[in-house]
Amino acid sequence: MGEQSVDVRALIEQIAKALVDAPEEVSVEQIEGETTVFELTVAPDDLGKVIGRQGRVARALRALVGAAGIRAHKRFGLEIIE
Amino acid sequence: MPIPDKIAAANKINDFLRGVVTQGGLHLKYRITVDPPLPDERDWERPEILVEFAGPDSTLLLERGGELLRAVELLAIEMLRLPGNEHEKICFDCMNQRKLRLEELRMAATVAAERVRQTGSPYEFAPMSSRERRIVHLALRDQADLHTESQGEGGRRCLVVYPKDYKPAGRPMRKTIP
Repeated sequence: MGEQSVDVRALIEQIAKALVDAPEEVSVEQIEGETTVFELTVAPDDLGKVIGRQGRVARALRALVGAAGIRAHKRFGLEIIE
Repeated sequence: MPIPDKIAAANKINDFLRGVVTQGGLHLKYRITVDPPLPDERDWERPEILVEFAGPDSTLLLERGGELLRAVELLAIEMLRLPGNEHEKICFDCMNQRKLRLEELRMAATVAAERVRQTGSPYEFAPMSSRERRIVHLALRDQADLHTESQGEGGRRCLVVYPKDYKPAGRPMRKTIP
């Protein structure tokens, strides 16, 4: 459970693939900067599944990504690409 | 309707949480129990799969009213594709937060009921999740002189306690927890 195993990109991809109907169309890009931004792309028909009702799923994903950032002592952000 | 294959669902939750712990770098242990035994006072909440967390990052899970704990729970529920009325079949808990919150809500329900009786006016709770509104509805279900309703939409949906034969005259509402 060390910080060296932290792989937030893989975590987002794993979760997104479990949420959508077309897991083969899930991709996550990692953009380094002052804040590391993870850009999640899914099939257009699956957007609702990663955003959720009133954005609840997206908010939950962001909470998890933010917590991983706290543990990694970095700032992480998640963008869902439409 | 029960979860069709609880073992498969528990395995799916385990795969997800293994990722959260390892790839997310969170220092947590967790235990997944299928059909957990429940104390009597939780007769109206019967999860079929209970996940209990422990470890140094428990505090992270419980910050801001358990925001991260609820986030992880929601993601698991969405992955399992449970319909909305079956969300309560999955329960994520940490350091008994769930039980404490249940007690808090039941106490708030009792206080609200007393206030409605004393004032004859409705009592409006602050917005809550559907699960928490349900707990308050059920806590007051046997109060013959009151009735409860959920009002509003989306993130602003809240529960209101009314005297049974209340005739509306304006909105003399109060807000309380959470």
